[in-house]
Amino acid sequence: MNIILGLINGMITSATPILLAALGGSLTYYAGIFNIAMEGMMLSGAFFGMLGSYYFHSWPMGILFAILGAILMALIFILFAVVLKMDEFITGIGLNLFAVGATTYMLRQIFKVKGAFASPEIVPIPKIDIPWIKDIPVVGEILSGQNLIVYLTLLATIAVSYLVFKTRFGLRLRAAGYNRTSLDTSGVSANRIRVWSLILCGVLTGLAGSFLSLGYVTLFSEGMSAGRGWISLAAVILVSGNPTGIALISLLFGFTDGLGLFMQRSLPSQFTSMVPYVATLVALFVYSVRLKKKQTI
Amino acid sequence: MKRKILVNVVGVLLAFLLGAVVMLVQGYNPLETYYRLFEYSLAPGKIAYTLSKSVPLVLTGMSASVAFASGPINLGQPGQLLMGALLATIGGLYIDLPPLLMIPFLLILAMLGGALWSGVAALLKYWFNMSEFITTLMLNMIADFFTYWAINYPFFEKNANHPQTPFIAKSGWMPEWGNFNSSVIVMVLAFAVIWFIVNRSTAGYEWRLSGQNSLFSRLGGVNISKNYLVVMLLTGALAGLAGGLVVMAGPHRFIKDIGGNYAWDGVMIAMVANSGIILTLVFGFFFSVLQTGSLGMELITAVPKELIQVLQAVIVLIVVAGRGYFETFFAKLEARRKMRERIA
Repeated sequence: MNIILGLINGMITSATPILLAALGGSLTYYAGIFNIAMEGMMLSGAFFGMLGSYYFHSWPMGILFAILGAILMALIFILFAVVLKMDEFITGIGLNLFAVGATTYMLRQIFKVKGAFASPEIVPIPKIDIPWIKDIPVVGEILSGQNLIVYLTLLATIAVSYLVFKTRFGLRLRAAGYNRTSLDTSGVSANRIRVWSLILCGVLTGLAGSFLSLGYVTLFSEGMSAGRGWISLAAVILVSGNPTGIALISLLFGFTDGLGLFMQRSLPSQFTSMVPYVATLVALFVYSVRLKKKQTI
Repeated sequence: MKRKILVNVVGVLLAFLLGAVVMLVQGYNPLETYYRLFEYSLAPGKIAYTLSKSVPLVLTGMSASVAFASGPINLGQPGQLLMGALLATIGGLYIDLPPLLMIPFLLILAMLGGALWSGVAALLKYWFNMSEFITTLMLNMIADFFTYWAINYPFFEKNANHPQTPFIAKSGWMPEWGNFNSSVIVMVLAFAVIWFIVNRSTAGYEWRLSGQNSLFSRLGGVNISKNYLVVMLLTGALAGLAGGLVVMAGPHRFIKDIGGNYAWDGVMIAMVANSGIILTLVFGFFFSVLQTGSLGMELITAVPKELIQVLQAVIVLIVVAGRGYFETFFAKLEARRKMRERIA
């Protein structure tokens, strides 16, 4: 029983940052932007989240700073890809490497350390106990006592789903990706929609970043996003942006991650750490085989 | 041609200006900092060292350039570099030949290692149509963990404090004359071969054609999937070669994080060079100047060398954006001139 509980809780914890970033990616996907900068935005969010929490000794400031940090990256993306019309792929790669360099530089300049910075002054984001529910055996241990960000992620999934499919903005968002010329001729600037989708993506990836440095662990280390942005990109591509699908895929990745930790008893940790990346490859494989079948019919 | 050089130079200068502003804000003297940077990497005694350090940058840069110019989005240079380095190390641990045979043998092993890893991605695309863009990225992470396992368990040097392999056989060490490492010669040879293939051979012509317009070249009778496989294997081999040379010229063993940031820097170099082979060589050397000089800069002016990493990314963004911007600007000028001629 404890093992299963551990697996489920591990699944939720590892799925959270991937899901948040992928929801951000979903918005830009619908807007027709090839956004591969989630990795950099998340990393920037993680750094600024730690910074805010450290200086103000408060986790809400941490979350605010994380979101601002990620939006900063989104604004740079907007400047180059939307305003200067630079190739989105190059902008994304450049921005990701810029984020790695800038966070490493600031870590060194501000805290005089290399590699990682941890301090008791950094206030982590609290876990929330839900009254009544927490007393239910088993279910209570899953539904209650999770990090605040986990609950926010749940809300974000529903909100993004609603935003994309049930609102006017969502309709315009999808139109921007589907046929931007017709959106432009109908009097709505596709570029403005794109800008907003990128800023919202910044908000979501910022939350993901704050979960990395203030929830998952309470420290910042160089390159701590560790490919999660890329996995979230794979998730977005796999389900063509659908938020519900993204949630399921992220949980699946989270599960494999937890499974990897569980397998550490019998395998060297280097192999178990590979599991989420191998799972991504397997998911891509299943996706492409399914696509092929569809095409042959 | 002149215009292209101008765009690159102006872009780099703009990036330096931005860097100077950052330094001024933090209370450093930008002029002195830049002077120290270039002094440390370009002084007569130092230039050979800078050249030697440019080898992995240029090789991974060429790998990315050839791939991007021909179509495949091979972003697997980090993993391919590591696998090349690992295979060359293993060869050097178990086999000992005279240097004249040993060095080519290990270099071939390194290329095999890289090609093996890019080959996995190529076959996944070939058989199952899985996009190499994501598979190569995932394979990077897998190679990272795999090589880390390899130096922790099967090839671990006993009694070492941290994970690393023992030294490879002395015959496999790249000869060094002062600051000049002979890996530069390998790099120049590789550059000549790649330049010739891309610019002077039928295969290279077909690659560039497919990179520009895949459908057009297929209608023209180009075998797209064969070319795709060859390009993936070749670019993997180039990245693997970089890895092998890093081991054979540097620590002579596989240590943790041996790949450093070479491969991602290579990808950036390819982007800023617009996938041109000659520009890749130029920018590869230029990035090496920045990285080597950053050590001296940190020693003398106390500006952390990590600033260079930021500067590199800024250079890439500004030069690439500037190129697009200038092109439309000049096209507009041209159009206006023609219009005036028509009216007159």
